[in-house]
This record gives sequence, structure tokens and C-alpha cells, in this order.
Amino acid sequence: MSQPLVELRHVDRSFKQGRVMIPVLQDINLTVAPNEILCLVGESGCGKTTTGKIIVGLLSQSAGDVLYQGRPVGEFRGKERSAYRRALQIVHQDPFASLNSAHTIGQILSYPLKRHKMVHSRAELRRRIWELLTLVDLTPPGDVVNKFPHQLSGGQRQRVSIARALTVEPKLIVADEAVSMVDVSIRVSLLKMMHRLRDQLNLAIVFITHDLALAKYFAWEGRIGVMYLGRMVELGPTPDVIVNPAHPYTRALISAIPEADPELTRRKERMILRSEDIPSLTEIPAGCAFHPRCPFFVPGLCDSRVPPLADAEGFRHQVACLPLTQGDALREYGDAFREEQS
Amino acid sequence: MGIDHAIGFGAAASPTGLIIGILCGLIPLVLGLRKRFVRPALLGFAACVFGGAAAGIWGGALMIVLTTAVVISYAYVDRQDPFTSRASIDQVSFEETRFDFFIRQMAALGRSTRAATRALVRNKAGFIGFLGLLFFFLMIVFGPLFIEYDGESHMERRRPGASSLYQGPTREFPLGLDWAGRDVLSHVVYGGKNLILVSAEAGLLTTIVAVALGSLAGLLGGVVDQVFSALSNFILTVPSFPLLLVLASVITFDNMTYLALLFAALYWPTLMRAVRAQVFSLRERDYVQAAIALDLGMFHIIFREVLPNMISYIVVNMIFTIRSAMYNLVGLVFLGMVPIQEPDWGVMIYFGRAKGAIFNPNAASMLISPIIAIALFQLFLVLFTRSLEEIFNPRLRQGL
Ligand SMILES: Nc1ncnc2c1ncn2[C@@H]1O[C@H](COP(=O)(O)OP(=O)(O)O)[C@@H](O)[C@H]1O
Ligand SMILES: [Mg+2]
Repeated sequence: MSQPLVELRHVDRSFKQGRVMIPVLQDINLTVAPNEILCLVGESGCGKTTTGKIIVGLLSQSAGDVLYQGRPVGEFRGKERSAYRRALQIVHQDPFASLNSAHTIGQILSYPLKRHKMVHSRAELRRRIWELLTLVDLTPPGDVVNKFPHQLSGGQRQRVSIARALTVEPKLIVADEAVSMVDVSIRVSLLKMMHRLRDQLNLAIVFITHDLALAKYFAWEGRIGVMYLGRMVELGPTPDVIVNPAHPYTRALISAIPEADPELTRRKERMILRSEDIPSLTEIPAGCAFHPRCPFFVPGLCDSRVPPLADAEGFRHQVACLPLTQGDALREYGDAFREEQS
Repeated sequence: MGIDHAIGFGAAASPTGLIIGILCGLIPLVLGLRKRFVRPALLGFAACVFGGAAAGIWGGALMIVLTTAVVISYAYVDRQDPFTSRASIDQVSFEETRFDFFIRQMAALGRSTRAATRALVRNKAGFIGFLGLLFFFLMIVFGPLFIEYDGESHMERRRPGASSLYQGPTREFPLGLDWAGRDVLSHVVYGGKNLILVSAEAGLLTTIVAVALGSLAGLLGGVVDQVFSALSNFILTVPSFPLLLVLASVITFDNMTYLALLFAALYWPTLMRAVRAQVFSLRERDYVQAAIALDLGMFHIIFREVLPNMISYIVVNMIFTIRSAMYNLVGLVFLGMVPIQEPDWGVMIYFGRAKGAIFNPNAASMLISPIIAIALFQLFLVLFTRSLEEIFNPRLRQGL
């Protein structure tokens, strides 16, 4: 593989809440290669947005290293820092908060173009704005260029956000739940557009979502990382993770995806968790954070040691589950208990 | 003071100004009539004449720019703008002459002016406030053309058998006479200018200090924030008016600007804390985060991303500060703590009390007139803020 664009090594992040520190991310290891699609999935609150912000450098890590093209990002100064900043862009979730209501769409796009001298004349500036608006399917451009954000629909604003990110010709875009707040009817066209932009502009996309079905659709050619309570629990090529999930949490998520065919959905075996409650970040369970909910819990093992993300026998991708990575098969916790009794 | 000339308060209306205004008005008039936009042309002409007459060259110039822009925004219906064509990118030319660019910018300015005017008219309460303030402006600027200032005492106006010179309203003196037999109306007309200017100055200074410190505290956070917050807390706990009173009696203010400065020094904390809180919340907004990721720089973030979203809030607060500055000033004058300078609404009340108007039925109109003037002015100010909110809020303004 070529040199990764961005690399996170053992990244921790905690936030101070009152007097206690809340560990929001723990020991995240991640690489994003150029032109790659990487999907981060997980329930809300598991730290996806925080990871995305650390990837683009909007948040700093509490511990660990963040590398851009092989160099720690703290090293960049002056021009290099600016170039690093611009190479990594983020598109936010809420289309109503991501554009400043004081400026027209034309102005929003012109500020970065002018500031970074991406254009050299007024004519070129206007030509580039036209190009960008066409690139994100806002045509004819004259219909939006003089409008204010509040005059556009959610989907259109999200397109403007993407166009704004593209002004500085980034190498990577983090799309943080970028389609979860727009109408379902518009989602597919937005996703297709992002695919097209990735091919056309040689972008890497980190696609953040809480919806595994969406991840499956969007990142089929890429990789999926499944997060749980601030840790990466499974990471690998999308088809492998979806077809042959390793971690019990991923399996539970997949079993919860409704199929297009209702008959299929009904026949699908749903995994029963031992508990539906997600523990709070202030009291993360010892050992594997998933163990209180895990149907395959092994007492004495899972609650004593934090499982590292590692290769597991029978899988082509990495998983953070001690029984699996130690070469054991998963056994249902309840059954094991019954056998002991008899 | 420079600002009073710029807004026409410096000199009263003059014939020279009228000529300047007419000359200025010719530009939108000719331009509009040639393009067959009669209404904007005539309105533009009228606005220029008014601006010129009221404020001379400055008013005229301001009005030329605005009205010409409005006329252009009607006449120039996106001529040759590639963004109005439905052609594909290879078929349109983005090159334009300097003149075309100028015209396009003027048209944009004209559109904003029209949108602002519509926003002003749309809100009934705000519009009434605007008309009221306009009335005061006309009174102060054009009043002197019709009414002469009556500064000498007139013993000869004493009525036979009367114990004082005070008189109620008569046909000759619609608001009566004061303790020295002077025309009260003339004092009402001439007495507002200074008070309004000093209050406006105090309000402006307070706002500048509050916004500067508030944005710094909000954006930088940390030690800067702690220092400013501690300072503002300290000043907030001090009772301001009594302190102002004490200071005003210790220091002699030959220049009222110092008084405005003193006011600003005591009254900035409230607004500063509000601005700081706003900046704190605005800087977490996604579009500010995006601006950081786009490396647009601190300057851009303050002036293009954060301030435009607070401007309506800031302007409205400035109006309220002007209002409270005026009350404080009148209070100081009433208590005789600042040098007494006639004509002034506050001084009228002060003399009313000092010269026994309270016990004289004939003096009622002399005492009530400045009070009504002050109260009305304040009312119109507050009403006007309604319109300001709409004018400065892009969401409410609705672009054209
Ligand atoms: N600036 C912050 N200050 C304090 N807590 C935060 C901050 N940002 C995020 N958190 C906390 O971190 C956790 C993870 O947040 P986030 O990364 O937004 O999750 P996700 O995007 O997966 O829903 C949440 O519990 C949230 O409350
Ligand atoms: Mg999130």
C-alpha cells in the first residue's frame, strides 16, 4: 500500500466535564489511504464525530500521534501547516448550521478561493464558482449563486458545503453523517455524487454514519470500522465485515438491518443481547467494554483485559475480541452456564 | 466632533446644502428617467435634495451612492452576467470590463438598499419609531430655519400683575415662556442636539469597548477571558449612577466627550458579557469550524463569520445603551453635576426646578415640554429597534 494520507496511532481523547475527565476515544489506530473510502459506524455517542475532527485536525488528541503523509501534524508550521489544513476537509451533519446565513452562496465559495489565491482574476473566480456548483449538481449555477443559505433546501445546502470543501482542492473529506439529515429521496443522489467526486478528484472519503445499511451501500469498495464506546472493535474491507462479521457487536448490528424483503427480515435471526443499555462513558466496564451485553461473554477473560484490535483465525480482517483473537470459537454464555450445571 | 457634521447635526440646514442636494439629485434623476424608471428617479432626487440640504456634501454624497445604486438595480437587469444564462460553461464568457463590474456591484448595493427599506417599512412599530426619529432629526436640522433661538431674558414680556415671567401657551409662544420670559419652543427645538449627540457618543463608545473586549474574551478564552470577566464582575457590583455622580462632581467636564467616555467606562460590562456569551456559542458553530479547516484566518472568522451574526444584536443593544446614557445625562444635569449649558432639555428641567416652576401653574408647559420631548425620543428609539432587527437579520430581510 502507498503511504497513508492520515494515520492515527494510539490516539486517546478525553473531555473535561465538571471535575471528571471523560474518555471519549481510547487507543484508536487508523490509516486512511489516498482515494480510499473508509466508513466509521457505531451508535450515537461512540466518538465518531470526535474521531472525524481529530482526522481533519479540528480537535487535538489527548495522547497518541496523528500523522499526515507520515509526519506528525504538530510539526507543520506556516505554509506547510496551511497546506495540511486545506488538504483535509469536513462536511458536517446539520445542513442548517454548516453555512453562515449572512453570506450568499457565491460569497461562501469565493472566500477560500480568494484567500488561498486559487484564482487570479475576477473572471477566473466566477468561472471557478460556476465549475464548483456544477460539480456538485447545483445547476444552473445562476439559480443559487446569489441566494442565501436559508433559501435553499437541506440537500442543496449539503451540496454547497461539499462545494465549499472542494474550493481548496482537498485530498480527503470527512463526511460526518452528511446525509442523515436530508430527505431519503435525495440521499442516494448525494451518495452517488460523492462517489463520482471521489473518482473525479482523487479524493479519500471518511464516511461517518450510525446506519450500517448506509455504510454497506456507500463503502462496498472500501473499508468499515465499527466503533463502540470510544474504541474500534472491528476494522476491515466492507464485504468481509458485512458478510462475515467477527465481533459480536457487529453481528448484532447486522442482524438488526432490515432487509428490503419483509419475508427475509422476518426470517432473519436477530441476535439477543444480554442487555440493551449502553453503558455511559463515565463508567466504561472493565476489560472489553461490550462484555456486559455480549451473549458470548467469557467470565474471567473478557472482563479482565482490554482486547486489542488484532487478526483472528477464520477472518480476513481485524477484530477486538479476546476469545476470537486467541483462536477460540464464540460460545453462547447462557449455554455454557447450563452445561456446567448438568 | 466629526460625526455631527457627517450626520448633519453640525450646521443647521443651509441654502448651500440645498444647492448641493439638487446637484447630487440630478444623477439618479437623469439616469432613472433615461431608463424610464420614473418613481425611483423622483424618489432618488428627493432623497438627494433632502440629504444635501440636511447634511451638505456628506449627506448628498451618501444619498447619491444609495439612490443611484437603487436606480441601477432597476435599470440593470443582470446585463451580460454569465450567471443568468442557461448556457454551458464553454459558451459563456466570464471576462467583464471594469465598468460592468462596477455596475454589477452597484446593482447589488441597490438591491440591499431596497431590501433594507422594505424591511424598515414592513414592521409597523419599527416604522413608527423611524418616522418619530426622523421628526426629531427634521426638528433639529430644519427647525432653526424657522425658529430663532431665544437666549436673552425678556423683562418686557411680564404680564401686568404677574409675579413671574412664566407664561402658559399663547398664540405667539405655543409652548409658553420660561422663568426669563424666553420662548420655550425655541429651547425645545435647539435643546435636543447636544443631549442626543453626547448620548449617541456614549452609546457608541460603550458598544465599541464591549464588543472589542467581549469578542477577545470569547475567541481567546483562557487568561484573557478570566481577566476581562473578573473586571466586568467588579464593575457590575459597583452602583454605576452614584459613582458617575461622585466622579462627575469631582471632575469638571468642560468637554462632554469625557463624560461619554466615563459613561462607557462604567457601562460596558453588561453588553460585554452578552457579546462574550454569543461569541462562545458562535465559535462552536459548524461554519466557524469549516472556516478554520479552510484556513481562512482569525480576521476573517471575526469579521465575516462571527460579527455579521451578532450585528443586529449589537445595534439593538447600542440603541438601548444610548437610551440609558440619555437618562443618566439628564439625571446628572438635573442634579446640577455637570456644567450647565443652554440650550438643553435636561437644563430646562434643572432650571424648572431651581426657578420655582414646580409651584407655578403658569410654568407647567415649560416643565412638561422637555420631559415629553425626552420621553418621546426614547420611545421612538425603542420602537425603531424593531425595524433594525429585521434590517440586519438576513433571514428576516429576505434577499431579492
Ligand atoms: N466538546 C466536547 N466537550 C465535552 N464532551 C464532548 C465534546 N464533544 C463530544 N463530547 C462527548 O463525546 C462523546 C462522543 O461524541 P461524538 O464524537 O460526537 O459521538 P458521535 O459522533 O459518535 O455521536 C459524547 O458523549 C459527547 O457528549
Ligand atoms: Mg456525531
